[in-house]
Amino acid sequence: MNEITISITLLVVLFALLAGGVWVGLTLAGVAWFGMEVLTGRPAGDAMAMTIWGSASSWTLTALPLFVWMGEILYRTNLSENMFKGLAPWVNALPGRLLHTNVIGCTIFASVSGSSAATCATVGKMNIPEMRKRGYPDAQIIGSLGGPSTLGLLIPPSIILIVYGVAAEVSISKLFMAGVLPGILLAVLFSGWIMGWALLNPGKVPKAEDNLSFKQKIYETRHLIPVVLLIASVIASIYTGIATATEAAAVGVVGALILSASQGALTWKSFSESLLGATRLYCMIALILAGAAFMTLSMGYIGLPRQLATYVGSLNLSPEMLIIVLGIFYILIGCFLDGISTIVLTMAVVLPIIKAAGIDPLWFGIFLVITVETAQITPPVGFNLFVLQSMTGKEITYIAKVCAPYFFLMVFALVLLWFFPGFVTWLPAKML
Amino acid sequence: MRTFLNGLYTTSGWLAGLSMVGVLVMVLLTIVSRLFSFSAPGTDAYAGYAMAGAGFMALASTLKKGEHIRVTLVLGMLKGGPRKGLELLALSIAVLLSGFLAFYSARLVWESYQFNDISTGIDATPMWIPQLVMAVGTLIFFIAFVDEWVLELLNKGRSTDAGEISLEELTHE
Amino acid sequence: QTKWDLASAYPAFNFHTENLVEFSKDVAAGTNNELQITVHPGASLFKAPEIKRATQGGQAQAGEFFLVSFQNEWPSFGADGLPFLASSYEDAYKLYQAQKPMLQKKLDEQGLVLLYSVAWPPQGIYTKKPIESVADLKGMKWRVYSPTTARIGELIGAQPVTIQEAELSQALATGVVEGLITSSATGADNKLYENLSHYYNVQAWIPKNAVVANKRAFSRLDAATQEAVMKAAAEAEERGWKRSQEVNAKSIATMKDAGMKIEEPSAQLKADLAKVGETVVTEWVGIAGADGQALIEAYKASK
Ligand code: NA
Ligand code: NA
Repeated sequence: MNEITISITLLVVLFALLAGGVWVGLTLAGVAWFGMEVLTGRPAGDAMAMTIWGSASSWTLTALPLFVWMGEILYRTNLSENMFKGLAPWVNALPGRLLHTNVIGCTIFASVSGSSAATCATVGKMNIPEMRKRGYPDAQIIGSLGGPSTLGLLIPPSIILIVYGVAAEVSISKLFMAGVLPGILLAVLFSGWIMGWALLNPGKVPKAEDNLSFKQKIYETRHLIPVVLLIASVIASIYTGIATATEAAAVGVVGALILSASQGALTWKSFSESLLGATRLYCMIALILAGAAFMTLSMGYIGLPRQLATYVGSLNLSPEMLIIVLGIFYILIGCFLDGISTIVLTMAVVLPIIKAAGIDPLWFGIFLVITVETAQITPPVGFNLFVLQSMTGKEITYIAKVCAPYFFLMVFALVLLWFFPGFVTWLPAKML
Repeated sequence: MRTFLNGLYTTSGWLAGLSMVGVLVMVLLTIVSRLFSFSAPGTDAYAGYAMAGAGFMALASTLKKGEHIRVTLVLGMLKGGPRKGLELLALSIAVLLSGFLAFYSARLVWESYQFNDISTGIDATPMWIPQLVMAVGTLIFFIAFVDEWVLELLNKGRSTDAGEISLEELTHE
Repeated sequence: QTKWDLASAYPAFNFHTENLVEFSKDVAAGTNNELQITVHPGASLFKAPEIKRATQGGQAQAGEFFLVSFQNEWPSFGADGLPFLASSYEDAYKLYQAQKPMLQKKLDEQGLVLLYSVAWPPQGIYTKKPIESVADLKGMKWRVYSPTTARIGELIGAQPVTIQEAELSQALATGVVEGLITSSATGADNKLYENLSHYYNVQAWIPKNAVVANKRAFSRLDAATQEAVMKAAAEAEERGWKRSQEVNAKSIATMKDAGMKIEEPSAQLKADLAKVGETVVTEWVGIAGADGQALIEAYKASK
């Protein structure tokens, strides 16, 4: 069977299972099983169990459940309310007002967490109820969370940059440096979009709560102290070497517990609710991750991403065309596979092509991670879409639709990076 | 039977929560052991096993609370007989796939025991021991799907309208 | 026509992987494309700790794994990870020959066929400050990642720090780790010179990868194909050992160019480390039993 027939068959199975209402994690496992057992005739069961165990017990992932738990604890404190009180006087002047707290919250949290699902779950858990309470439209709340939370992947620390660095032989510290400015660029683009939308739809943004003098604004900012302290202590634990980027999540949980206790919000009830709530939210993500791990394995056996990448390589394109084709390739493949899988499955083929075309692997790493960011919000398989579905109860099609502007902003950022590669290369050259 | 099943889901859910605490404790031990220079070998591996416990043991209770994600777009457009038909079909596929997962998870444990598979880390744990949580968790997950299937067939009303939790519920849970 | 999947955890540019690709080409050529081996590098099929198990179970017909990793399972897998036992490629090859018969026997019991085994570049000590003797390592934050490295850490009085490979760069940058033992190739690949200043070429040990095939899959091949596979394997082994030495020289040169101080150990350091090595080897023989005793004796006799 050729690649096109295989791709189409797998897509049909995927869409049929998803549309039929089969749970997403099981759907991915089903497609993976179909691909491996039916299309390539390899027995899939034992390989599946081994792979799922490996991914579910992998130490590198432990930051995810812990950050999810941190979010659940904070959600049961008045931290989010305080964050809004502290930020509101400042963002109220901007068109779109509190919607910017999503972008700011995600950008800050991204510098603590290496995963986009954890960023989305933690910030969403705090912000969604607060913004709904204040009458912001769902479409804007969800979109301005789905897009910016993908920054978790680009702003250091980042699991995916580590995976790329190892696979591509690029210094991880340089990659981390390289991610900072493009991350800020994206955040600015996201905020700019919100402002543009708000200017065109002035009636849809709730009124500012009150107009404060500059002095009062400063005074209101005191509400930010707890959240700033918490985030600062997590970041400090990483950069002073007390904890690694993965372990920092545990510092976050302890910090959240202390904060909760200091507000008198820490009771057995709130503790056990946060614990069980976090476990279930993590479990939801873990089932999808398990399905995705099996899918990666199946794709590895079928060799589909690799064959497609080989095909792209055989076209002998100019650097510009190569980047355009690879960008489209990774964005398309990102609709169905998660980012780490695509990198692992294609790196062996794509890197030599990139190097031969004279493209800087450091620059390409950042380019790649932004395409992986888009994968988080493109249907049918996008982790942030699933997290947002679980938190808001909206259909995935709706969530994908409201996230779409942010997808295009990321594509726009890719174009900017091509014309201004300095965004990527300036900081690493300066610092190291 | 009902009481037993509900007890099973609740208990496994609590075990998952306990595993989550285990992840925290293990990671904290790693940090603290470094700070105060005592040796806590293998904590990274144990954190991983505990995380597997949190994920797998919570599968059934997460399903029963309707928190596993699915696309209900088509289901939402249907009513009456067709809806029940599609719901039963989706549940049947889920029963099959979760059964497949449970069976091969059990086989993984058995083969790890047979192969004498030992962790390659400092912890040197025989792998079949932590892998038991995967076998048990996926088995309970399978049972929960069979349970849902039967409830749907008998029109008994499923415990939740899966995948459709409102924010209100989330706030008041 | 038969198709095999070969799982490897190392990235495509690694010399072990490059050797695997050449091996698979040789096999295809030697069997008139009767046996096609697809190499899956970079843990794209299975992760490093899963590969041996996956080959045993037949999920992949062949795989490459790091022998020392599996010493929890059978101590003699870890013979080439014993510190200061074999400190040159020549000795490492002799140790391999001494280990080989029992290695083949053990792998056979586990349903595996040993195709070939190639050494990594030797392990050296990386630090932030100059060291003259083991006393200078006392209290240093020392990366441990295996039972042997943990035991060495204890014996030299360093402060053991468990850090996974993925976080090594950051741990070095933030001072979580101040010293470690790893190969020259890992040092150059992971750019350890960005954060550490000294490399002591102590050649602590010269560990190996093993490339194995599933026994059932192998026995299903006809005799001519089996022979062609073994011939290509023997060539890959010879090529690999040579390549390893080239990589060692190249890696050390890379680190030197990047400003790292490449030093030979002082006599004191050598003597101190030899003592540590003796303790670890004695303890290991205690665990490895008769097999281990026989292995060490065979090796010493061959020297
Ligand atoms: Na991040
Ligand atoms: Na996607």
